[in-house]
Amino acid sequence: MTDDVKDGPDNRGRRDFIESITSVVAAGGIAAAAWPFVQSMNPSLDVLSKSTTEVDLSPMVPGEAKTVSWQGKPVFILRRTDEQIEKMRGEGEGKVPQADDSRVLEPEWLVLIGLCTHLGCVPNRKEEGWFCPCHGSAYDNSGRILRGPAPRNLDLPPYQFVSKDKIIIGKKA
Amino acid sequence: MSNKIVAWIDERFPLTAIIKHEMTEYPVPRNLSYWWNFGFLAMTVLVIQLVSGIFLAMHFKADAGMAFDSVEHIMRNVNYGWLIRYMHSTGASAFFIVIFIHMARTLYYGSYRAPRELMWWTGQVLLIMLMATAFMGYLLPWGQMSYWGAQVITNLFGATPFIGPEVVVWLRGDYSVGDPTISRFFSLHYLMPFLVVGMIVIHLVALHMVKSSNPSGINLAAKDNIPFHPYFTIKDIFSIGVFLIIFSALMFFTPNSFIEADNYIPANPLKTPAHIVPEWYFLPFYAILRAVPDLLGGVVAMVLSLLVFAAMPYLDRSSIPGGARYRPFYRALFYVFAVDVFILAYVGAKPPEGFLVPLGQLATFIYFGLFILLPFLSSKEEKWLIKRGLPPKVQELVDAEVAQRAQHKADRAAKRAARRKK
Amino acid sequence: MKNNFFMPVSFLVIISGLFIGGNVLASSSAVPLAKVDIELNQEAYKRGAKVAIETCNLCHELKYIRYRNLLDIGFTQQEVDGFRGNKSMEEVLAASMTPPLAKKAFGMIPPDLSLMAKARKKGDRYIYTLMTSYHEVADNQYDNKLFPGIRMPDIFALSVETDEKRRAMQDQQIKDVTSFLVWASDPHADTRRTIGTYVIAYLVLLTFLLWLWKRKVWSRLDD
Repeated sequence: MTDDVKDGPDNRGRRDFIESITSVVAAGGIAAAAWPFVQSMNPSLDVLSKSTTEVDLSPMVPGEAKTVSWQGKPVFILRRTDEQIEKMRGEGEGKVPQADDSRVLEPEWLVLIGLCTHLGCVPNRKEEGWFCPCHGSAYDNSGRILRGPAPRNLDLPPYQFVSKDKIIIGKKA
Repeated sequence: MSNKIVAWIDERFPLTAIIKHEMTEYPVPRNLSYWWNFGFLAMTVLVIQLVSGIFLAMHFKADAGMAFDSVEHIMRNVNYGWLIRYMHSTGASAFFIVIFIHMARTLYYGSYRAPRELMWWTGQVLLIMLMATAFMGYLLPWGQMSYWGAQVITNLFGATPFIGPEVVVWLRGDYSVGDPTISRFFSLHYLMPFLVVGMIVIHLVALHMVKSSNPSGINLAAKDNIPFHPYFTIKDIFSIGVFLIIFSALMFFTPNSFIEADNYIPANPLKTPAHIVPEWYFLPFYAILRAVPDLLGGVVAMVLSLLVFAAMPYLDRSSIPGGARYRPFYRALFYVFAVDVFILAYVGAKPPEGFLVPLGQLATFIYFGLFILLPFLSSKEEKWLIKRGLPPKVQELVDAEVAQRAQHKADRAAKRAARRKK
Repeated sequence: MKNNFFMPVSFLVIISGLFIGGNVLASSSAVPLAKVDIELNQEAYKRGAKVAIETCNLCHELKYIRYRNLLDIGFTQQEVDGFRGNKSMEEVLAASMTPPLAKKAFGMIPPDLSLMAKARKKGDRYIYTLMTSYHEVADNQYDNKLFPGIRMPDIFALSVETDEKRRAMQDQQIKDVTSFLVWASDPHADTRRTIGTYVIAYLVLLTFLLWLWKRKVWSRLDD
């Protein structure tokens, strides 16, 4: 502001005060007004409720594998036979040894995120596990990487059993 | 540091020159009243509508099967979706309130007169663009009133001679309002406000050439002008504060007073609501449309009721400046017109039965009658006022105008005589 | 004209007269709605929800309310589990009577209730008046004063109820259902009004400050 012909030292002090306090109040208001618009771009309530998915396991028979969706991602669920559990015991024969019982809550139920840890393709179900068609990574029936370019075993989602036959994916116990 | 940046820009772009010319040194009559704030308020509402509209469009589905549900999704699930939606629906009405007051100011103070005719006409184009935008936006929620309002208004284009029915189908993209209609209306509704911005630039360029009029209607001396900044920047921003208080009261406490109850019922192409009512800002024109029993006649009357405003600079034949301030008959005409518009709005809101039919026709007759009366009345009033004696400043201007007209007459006569000699 | 305010004031008087007169004309012909005050708080919503889900929801769906939304009015997870049974939290409050059955029973599908309080003028009073306007026209036959020829049965049997205590209880239930339906039509209305109060208070403060600033700037003028 250059036009301060009339302002003596008194006026200047008061004018700056009103100007500054108004500017601060206005700036606060503009920020508060912008907030709802920014928030509106965050996931809506129906999307947020999808952060967990309930899965009923009762219809599955031993040996059956199923894929469900959780937060838009595929999740493999395998009801393992006693044979498969036996075979997978220990740390496995793959590139990243990891104890099978550290990868499950119940040995009978294998719950994995169905995305190849290489570049994100969805592997196909095979007898001895899963095979990714994109670059040839192979996983066993514990989701451990056996061979191929994938660097990690298949990831584990947070989940918990709410009853013998029901799990909630997305919530850790 | 910032001065160096500004200097760098100034060598490549007339930044400081523009700011000086259009703001800090731009001359504005010092006696402008608050009626002159409404143009700026209209721009404020435009910004509100643009921002709220763009964020709504992130969630809205322009599909006949999904539109209604997507609006409920916005109202219930999207964070603050209800706020953005109500802001947009209230803003539409606020836009028209502000614009109608802005127009009323122009009519009352005679700001449409030379040399501001182009401002008046670009303003009219803006009004028509706003009405088109609002009409198309109203279809989008796909409620009963949305659907049937669109059906009725698109039907009007069937009055076009020879190609009427084809035009209607072409507009809708379907035999009746349907999915193609909502898609294209969404596309155009999103587009129009940006065209409006362009038109506003033209409107303001014209303004900055002829400068604002003022409540006295007389061109003030240069010494009576003050720079736009800081006087009118702070006055404009203050008026935004007042406007936002009223706007927020409406938006947060009575948002549904602007939404027809029937629009909370999903559109049903097989069931017309008992009363089809357009949004309030279209009511007077709707009444004029229905006042004429013939379809084409009604459409022509409705279109004319909008276009007739364009003739104002030529209908007003008085050389007394300043619109209503020094002219009691013009002022009376203005208020009679205003009451008439409200009567038309009332008639438009009700079903056309009983005494409302002749009332609507009478009000339509008065509407056009006032425009037709204006040339005669303004000339007569001028003579009467001159006889009664005018304030000296006004008298000077009138004398100058009279002399100018006499000069023109003489010039034309001389030209004709010269041609005849040849 | 001698007095400068004569015309604008007359104009405002005439317009107000038209507005009021118009409203009087309009309301005198329609069936009057009961001037009832509907409570708008979580307790009322919950009481109404219980009645609505156990009764109205049999025939009417509320397609925009999901079981998960019931948590928002203060029901516990257990209570919601009680309402939903085997259905997931994401499911809508669908009618127990399927549309084909409803069409057979009533000749039409009962309308969705999620938006009913906004889909009628003065929706809250409309719903209350509708539910309390049943009257007996013949033996075991009823009709409704607000909606003659209505196909919905007299659920609360108010047309034949004589016991004052029961009538009062049912009247309260109807008010509660109305409260719930008002909530269902606009679940964020209470938040909206709260935020609105703060926004307007803020704007009054800001506008006052802007007015002071404007005065300061304009005081520099008259030199």
